[in-house]
Amino acid sequence: MGKVIGAIAMSHIMFPPDGIEEQAERVLQGMLEIRRRVRALNPDLIILAGADHLNNFTLAMQVTLAIGIADSFETLGDGGVPVSRFPGDRAFAEAFARFAAHHDYELVQVEEMRPDHGTAFPKLVLDPGNAIPTVPLYINAAMPVPPSPRRCYRLGEVLHRFVEEERPEGERVLVVGTGGLSHWLRMPGEGQIADAFDKEVIDAIITGQAEKLAELSSEEIVAASGNGGLEMIAWLFAAGALPGARGEEIYYEAVPAWITGMGAIEIRADR
Amino acid sequence: MTRAPYRIHKLIQDMMRDPAAAARFATDPQPIFDQYEISPEEAALLDSGSMEAMTGLGVHPNLQMKYLRLRHSGGDGAKLVGAGPLDAYLDRLLER
Repeated sequence: MGKVIGAIAMSHIMFPPDGIEEQAERVLQGMLEIRRRVRALNPDLIILAGADHLNNFTLAMQVTLAIGIADSFETLGDGGVPVSRFPGDRAFAEAFARFAAHHDYELVQVEEMRPDHGTAFPKLVLDPGNAIPTVPLYINAAMPVPPSPRRCYRLGEVLHRFVEEERPEGERVLVVGTGGLSHWLRMPGEGQIADAFDKEVIDAIITGQAEKLAELSSEEIVAASGNGGLEMIAWLFAAGALPGARGEEIYYEAVPAWITGMGAIEIRADR
Repeated sequence: MTRAPYRIHKLIQDMMRDPAAAARFATDPQPIFDQYEISPEEAALLDSGSMEAMTGLGVHPNLQMKYLRLRHSGGDGAKLVGAGPLDAYLDRLLER
């Protein structure tokens, strides 16, 4: 059997430091701390879950849950992330799609796409040399009808079972959920940061209570933390991959200049 | 929440996939508005650029941002690559 060796949840963008140099540096140091922890965990494979921003999946065909099955992916280059190519893992991705279908989840299998900043920025943070095969999993919070928080958490549980039941002995899998935290993007409320709610999200997950958090509806999360805040459903997926495990905050910063709450946590397999 | 008529969303999505059309749209939008049957009232609300007006029309938040880029990036709105928001951090992010 394989093992989910840890999970990370993290914001997936940064903006220029102009005027907030010290705070931006703290955010950057948080990102570099994530990188150090990934190196210490030494994963064989990363499952990187997050949202596309209507760059690959549009309103023409409103895909909510999808998995990248290609051998490699060239990133889109948006958000200031340099274009690069990283290896996927076709065997893992196709086998997980089949396993998930036996456990109530039909994941759209994607051969052709160019991951946008929601995947490419965290990939740069986690693995700057593109050395670790990484399977992109899409939890498209920006779709008009997004997947429910509960199903995102439970999909993480399905991934946990898949790794334990079907993957080779000794395989080390890191699960990462990206996006958030609170931000209101081009909707009434733009400019707010719900730092109290963001801290509730962080505290719930690092104390092993993500399943309870996942009882909130999408609408309740949007009301509490904005349409961008709903990206935390990918954090719930990451938490579901280590059900009940505890973790710790890596950093949190409410950044008014970027109109967003920025944060990251590590969930530890040994807690 | 209101959802914009699909022809508005389709216009934005199509321009993002067609750099030549996006370049025309940046400088002379009316033929494109006509092609997608965008009324003068809708065009005025879109080009106001305000969140309130575009949200009132029901334009998806991500597509609002793409629309603004299409209209105000000198014809390069469909290009998402370029000098960007991470420049101050890239040396350390790329470990170079």
